[in-house]
Amino acid sequence: MFGLHYKLERKAVGLVLAVIVAASIGGLVEIAPLFTIDETVEEAPDMRLYTPLELAGRNIYIREGCYACHSQMIRTLQDEVERYGPFSLAVESRYDHPMLWGSKRTGPDLARIGDKYSDQWQVAHLIDPRAVVPESKMPAYAWLARTPLETENFGAHLDALRIVGVPYTDEMIASASSDALGQATPDGPRAAGVAQRYGDATQIRLFDGDAATVTEMDALVAYLQILGRLTDAATASTAANVE
Amino acid sequence: MAVGERDAHTGHMTTGHEWNGIKELNTPVPKPVYFFLAATALFSVVYWLLMPAWPTGSSYTKGLLGIDQRQTVAEKLAAASLDRASWTARIAGESFEAIRADPQLMTIVRETGHTLFGDNCAACHGAKAAGGPGYPNLAEASWLWGGSPEAIEETIRVGINSAHPDTRVSQMPAFGRDQILDRDRILEVVAYVRSLSPSGEPAADAGVLAAGRQVFLENCASCHGESGAGNTEFGAPDLTDGSWIHGGSLDAVFRAVYGGQQGLMPAWEGRLSPLDRKMLVLYLLDLRSTEN
Amino acid sequence: MVSQLTLGERQGALCILLLLAACGLLMLGAGQNDPLGVHGGIVMLFGVLLIFVVISGYFAPEPGTDAAGRYYDDPSKVGIVLAMLWAVAGFFIGDWVAWLLVYPEMTFDAAWSSFGRLRPVHTTSVIFGFGGNALIATSFHVLQRTTRARLPDQLSPWFVLLGYNLFCLLAVSGYLIGITQSKEYAEPEWYADIWLVVVWVVYFLIYMRTLARRKEPHIYVANWYYMAFILVVAILHIVNNLAIPVSFAGAKSYSLFAGVQDAMTQWWYGHNAVAFFLTAGFLGMMYYYLPKRADRPIFSYRLSIISFWGITFMYMWAGSHHLHYTALPQWVQTLGMTFSVMLLVPSWASAGNALMTLNGAWHKVRDDATLRFMMMAAIFYGISTFEGSFMAIRPVNSLSHYTDWTIGHVHAGAMGWVALITFGSFYAVVPWLWKREAMYSARLVEVHFWFALAGTLVYVFAMWNSGITQGLMWRTYSEGGTLTYSFIDSLVAMHPYYFARAVGGLLFLIGALVGGYNIWMTIRTAEGVKPEVLADLPAPAAARQASTGR
Ligand code: HEC
Ligand code: HEC
Ligand code: HEC
Ligand code: HEM
Ligand code: HEM
Ligand SMILES: [Ca+2]
Ligand SMILES: [Ca+2]
Ligand SMILES: [Cu+2]
Repeated sequence: MFGLHYKLERKAVGLVLAVIVAASIGGLVEIAPLFTIDETVEEAPDMRLYTPLELAGRNIYIREGCYACHSQMIRTLQDEVERYGPFSLAVESRYDHPMLWGSKRTGPDLARIGDKYSDQWQVAHLIDPRAVVPESKMPAYAWLARTPLETENFGAHLDALRIVGVPYTDEMIASASSDALGQATPDGPRAAGVAQRYGDATQIRLFDGDAATVTEMDALVAYLQILGRLTDAATASTAANVE
Repeated sequence: MAVGERDAHTGHMTTGHEWNGIKELNTPVPKPVYFFLAATALFSVVYWLLMPAWPTGSSYTKGLLGIDQRQTVAEKLAAASLDRASWTARIAGESFEAIRADPQLMTIVRETGHTLFGDNCAACHGAKAAGGPGYPNLAEASWLWGGSPEAIEETIRVGINSAHPDTRVSQMPAFGRDQILDRDRILEVVAYVRSLSPSGEPAADAGVLAAGRQVFLENCASCHGESGAGNTEFGAPDLTDGSWIHGGSLDAVFRAVYGGQQGLMPAWEGRLSPLDRKMLVLYLLDLRSTEN
Repeated sequence: MVSQLTLGERQGALCILLLLAACGLLMLGAGQNDPLGVHGGIVMLFGVLLIFVVISGYFAPEPGTDAAGRYYDDPSKVGIVLAMLWAVAGFFIGDWVAWLLVYPEMTFDAAWSSFGRLRPVHTTSVIFGFGGNALIATSFHVLQRTTRARLPDQLSPWFVLLGYNLFCLLAVSGYLIGITQSKEYAEPEWYADIWLVVVWVVYFLIYMRTLARRKEPHIYVANWYYMAFILVVAILHIVNNLAIPVSFAGAKSYSLFAGVQDAMTQWWYGHNAVAFFLTAGFLGMMYYYLPKRADRPIFSYRLSIISFWGITFMYMWAGSHHLHYTALPQWVQTLGMTFSVMLLVPSWASAGNALMTLNGAWHKVRDDATLRFMMMAAIFYGISTFEGSFMAIRPVNSLSHYTDWTIGHVHAGAMGWVALITFGSFYAVVPWLWKREAMYSARLVEVHFWFALAGTLVYVFAMWNSGITQGLMWRTYSEGGTLTYSFIDSLVAMHPYYFARAVGGLLFLIGALVGGYNIWMTIRTAEGVKPEVLADLPAPAAARQASTGR
């Protein structure tokens, strides 16, 4: 063995090829089958898509680095299920490009935060976390409520996502910008189309409580309020497993 | 291999090469390295045999033990719930009074309630249930919807102004914004309302108070009661107990009357089990009795 | 420095820089309503600034033909200075971020200063800014010495070094203005990712071209590691960053993969960024500077082979240990865990090989803080790999994952291993490169050592404590069988540890400042030229010298 190596280490190209081969095997064996083994991602016929507003909120979540402190992945451990709810399924992040499972919990897991608190609380908490939770270490995000949401090219975002596999329809892409505004202005003319395109369960509300402008706060709160609610598969699966 | 020289310190031979002064000894690989390689590899092979491990294209090897993490946690949860059955059955079955009279059960309620409350309710009502701006004090103030355990249990189940189909609904009208009362009337009634509290706010001019009382009787008493002690049918708060949901300052009270209020308490059915909700009721009632 | 470039290279440099500036202008124009425009501006400025540098030296006489008889070290020198600048900046931001968890109000109501945006500035500055520059600088130095060949030309190393720093600059400035892909350690957006690929290909070519011209028949171990670092980082980077931009006029892109496949790809990348950036590269560094400084032969050539191939093969399987108990299928977790356990053997073999090399030189370790830096690094390498393999075991990970224990492990590796081996190597190589007798002050090296060690220990112990406390609090059950602590209870318990960590970080930062001063003074103060510098020559020149008896 050492004799063989003694020869190999005299050939730069040989060494390079050997390194590439040795280093490629692990990734191939572990990643490729995730695309070929069907049960990797569960079935969930009720799976919803993110609306343009929720997607914008998700992008703000990414931009602000919320994932640095919050996970969105409840593990298959008793304490996590008892604290946060049913463990996360693969299908729940099926349309998440990229996923936001996180690796650190400076704050609590957010996988099932949707609908847990009121919009009002979310807004107050994001503006000043310590006003509602005195012990908090979370930064204040007051500027979100002051920043109007940029909605110009939402169609292009949905289009890009369609290329990577999210089934947005032509109609959704065409009306993306309008839908983003519509979801946060329930009394406006644009609201009706949102429910029609994304389902009746879509939350169409004044998320930040201010009807005058659709802000980044609207988008982020809309996103937080949908977390864990794109499908009921997780609740169903835990219930089935427990039986 | 080329033969090098012998290193004086270790007695081993070098490989005979030199890179800008660096040489290498041809020391044999220490035995423990092989031993631990073999040991960890053996461990791995056994583990692979027992557990799900290798992909096979459209499936994977399931392992001899037939273990799956989802099944495992489901079993753990079921076992834990069985372990707890000795007391959970009693809490689920017995009356509130009976449970509160049982110190053993109440110890469990206090422990469990602390965590349940901390993880679900404290965000709004505060770690000690003392409330905060916009969120009622659950440890002291008069109950909005009545203090019976059943009423509290129902509030927690369906929420207030929530999305639950059976939700409790309450709303404080916006007397100013909706032009029901003009500014002076509001200032009068605000002065009057604030004078009802025991906090000892400097009393306003008697004339103003009398005018305010009149406004109150005409507009507010229907919900808050003639004395202002609230009405649990509408979830209208007691305005005389010195505890304010939205703040007792002139400004805050004015804002409540001018713009109205409609707090949202989420519904917990679906997120918390009936048992958890019952324990929270017990926890709150207990908190109150030990506070006072 | 421009004077060391041939006329053709100066012209080549101008062409590349003009092209770069034009790209910047294009980005600036296309991205007017997008943060991309800001990056266009940065790229353009970067190009224009360097154009001025090249022009200022353009008319200097060309280097004589005897240049081929010397090693080309200018890029290494600049790389070391850049690495120190990134180190100080990265540690400063790291400590700032640490204080933010003690005093969360310190954000001036400004987006850029919030924890989530500053944290990746810290990780990128230290890993890529500090670590990457140190690797590039030392790899060029080591490569030439161990092949007895000069770098193939004078332009490509500059392209790699400066192009790489442009990438780092785009990365950290991007986070501050809200550009990120959110993939840990791969946060920069698509255009920066593409640029890094270009830079990296050139880096690889430099390595191959130099090796092709080597005068030693055998390739030295350090170069196996540097080579694995370059190759594997390229593979990881390209696969993990596959994404579709929303528009070529905007910064935002969407990752090609989603959900569970994205998670696995990300941590296959993330873990092996640790393996091949923070481990393989720095092992390369250690394999040169430690034996050189100790003046001892490597303990065992055979052990080097076992550890190198063990590390190269096994690390690539271990990434799934970042996803234990998650929605990733359990079979992948099994593979990740078992390979992580086996991985301990080659890891400790490397650490052992380094420490045993010191046999016969322990008296030097006692007296020489530079060598002590390297020895301590090898020890921390051993500690953090043991800890890593331990944490990769599923039940252990169920406790440690998501907690500060991971942060403690990271910094045992990052501060204890990566930073200490780098400082040790710098203290060894700076006098060699700048032809000085020794560092400006040996006392200050000693001071730095103790600050760095104390800072690391305080940091790591604080995080071990907080992490394990946190993990235990999350899963503590009362007698009745229900959870004892709420999340907020655990958060409150973290406070003293966060304070201690921030103090530890401050000590580490002070150490780095002392080190930076010492290196700067060594460069500034021209002392006697080291006599053996004349021996530090590539093969043909050395041969010529021997024959002429100069
Ligand atoms: C410095 C770390 C940090 C960052 C960054 C951070 N958070 Fe938090 N977050 C916390 C902590 C700690 C808590 C728990 C205390 C509290 O409720 O404020 C928390 C709580 C929360 C909660 C309430 C969770 C619950 O179950 O009670 C939400 C929702 C939330 N954060 C959302 C966000 C969003 C959205 C962002 C980014 C815009 C963000 N956080 C960024 C630390 C952080
Ligand atoms: C999103 C914030 C929020 C959370 C979380 C929350 N509450 Fe409330 N809760 C409220 C608000 C707001 C009210 C008062 C509604 C009003 O003003 O009419 C309220 C009212 C109540 C009441 C009625 C008080 C009375 O006087 O009748 C009870 C009981 C209560 N909450 C218990 C709980 C419990 C138990 C939990 C946790 C399981 C909880 N709350 C979580 C916001 C919240
Ligand atoms: C339709 C019923 C209704 C009428 C009429 C009504 N209120 Fe209210 N009031 C409420 C309810 C319900 C709340 C609790 C709102 C909440 O927090 O969600 C409330 C809250 C308040 C509060 C805030 C209490 C606190 O603890 O912060 C004040 C002050 C108040 N009312 C004063 C008045 C006055 C003065 C009038 C008459 C001018 C009046 N209300 C008329 C239902 C009513
Ligand atoms: C045998 C070697 C090693 C193994 C098996 C290993 C294993 C692990 C494990 C199990 C985790 C925790 C994953 C989680 O729970 O999220 C981790 C995290 C980490 N390790 Fe190691 N480790 C090793 C060596 C090192 C070294 C030498 C460094 C050097 C710096 C390092 C840097 C990191 C980093 C940066 C993370 C954090 C990743 C994140 O962002 O979550 N590791 N490692
Ligand atoms: C002055 C010294 C340092 C201080 C004060 C410091 C501080 C910090 C802090 C506060 C965090 C965030 C932890 C959290 O989210 O809870 C962090 C993360 C990190 N730091 Fe440092 N750090 C220092 C040095 C270094 C060095 C030298 C390196 C690498 C060479 C490094 C690499 C990292 C990495 C990889 C992470 C991310 C860990 C993860 O995501 O798991 N740090 N650091
Ligand atoms: Ca991390
Ligand atoms: Ca990237
Ligand atoms: Cu890892």
